[in-house]
Amino acid sequence: MMLAVAGCLLLVMISGALVAFTRRPARQVLMISVHGLFLSMLFLLLQAPDVAYSEIAVGTALVPVMFLTVLAAIRGGGRRNLPR
Amino acid sequence: MKYSLVLRYALCILALIVLAPAAVLVALHMPAFGEQLPAYGATVNAHVPYMRQATNVVTAIIFDVRGVDTLGEEFIFVAAITGLAVLLRGGRGEDASRKPIHTDGRWLPARSEAVALLIRWMLPATVAFSIYVMAHGQLTPGGGFQAGAMLASALLLLFLGDGYRSWRQVTPPTVMHVLEALGAVGCVGVGLLPLALGAGFLENVLPQGQPKSLTGGGLIPLFNVAVGMAITGGFANALVEFLEETREPEAEGEQ
Repeated sequence: MMLAVAGCLLLVMISGALVAFTRRPARQVLMISVHGLFLSMLFLLLQAPDVAYSEIAVGTALVPVMFLTVLAAIRGGGRRNLPR
Repeated sequence: MKYSLVLRYALCILALIVLAPAAVLVALHMPAFGEQLPAYGATVNAHVPYMRQATNVVTAIIFDVRGVDTLGEEFIFVAAITGLAVLLRGGRGEDASRKPIHTDGRWLPARSEAVALLIRWMLPATVAFSIYVMAHGQLTPGGGFQAGAMLASALLLLFLGDGYRSWRQVTPPTVMHVLEALGAVGCVGVGLLPLALGAGFLENVLPQGQPKSLTGGGLIPLFNVAVGMAITGGFANALVEFLEETREPEAEGEQ
């Protein structure tokens, strides 16, 4: 059990560092999602399944979708970029 | 304004001098990993399952022991979604997100049939699972918030599998607005119901039901469903407002 928690902590640490060190925003968003997945595994191992559910729904699905949307709005020349 | 590198390092060192000892102090005084529960946790664990017929103590705490806090959080969420809609619709106009907006000239990647098929299998399963999580809030891990977030992201799978237009057809803004509002009203209604029965606000006076049953817990399942509705509608609205932001308005639109 201790070993699993230690392994999960290590994965969370590595993926968290990767989020910070990824330079391209689109990849960074995907790394946030991976980080959230490892984080929810850690929560599950620490006997907090409720928090794990929230993390997996919000952290790996909804937040990355919102970030990707923002990136698309910036890059795709959404209405905000048009001169007024 | 541009900061020089020297100034940055100086600020960093200054912050470290102040914050590092504090961090070390906190780390040294933390309870050991896997230590016995504190007194409050032990008390709740000993009494709540028998008083409320709820096997998931976390849900019992959130929707009963500290129900007023949850009501407050619920309205923080609703207020945040409202603020988001006001901000994003500011440049777009009030009615713009009622129907999906075209994107002229944008290359639409075709979905592979495998993806579409997989989504069609996974979507009903995910929706069923989130309804299960909502219904069993007081029994197994999960509850209204988790189920609502899951349901909103499950519907979003349709965007992945069948495209934006199908997703917008499944989450019509009017329905989602009503869902969110009904959920928020429901939360207050759950609080007012005991008042009508002569008890305090949010006091759990309904019959507690059988242990390990869907109806156990008195007010807890009702509160749970109300929160689930508000969260589902809120997240769906937020996603609609965000995704409309990437799209051009139609030619005969506001411009």
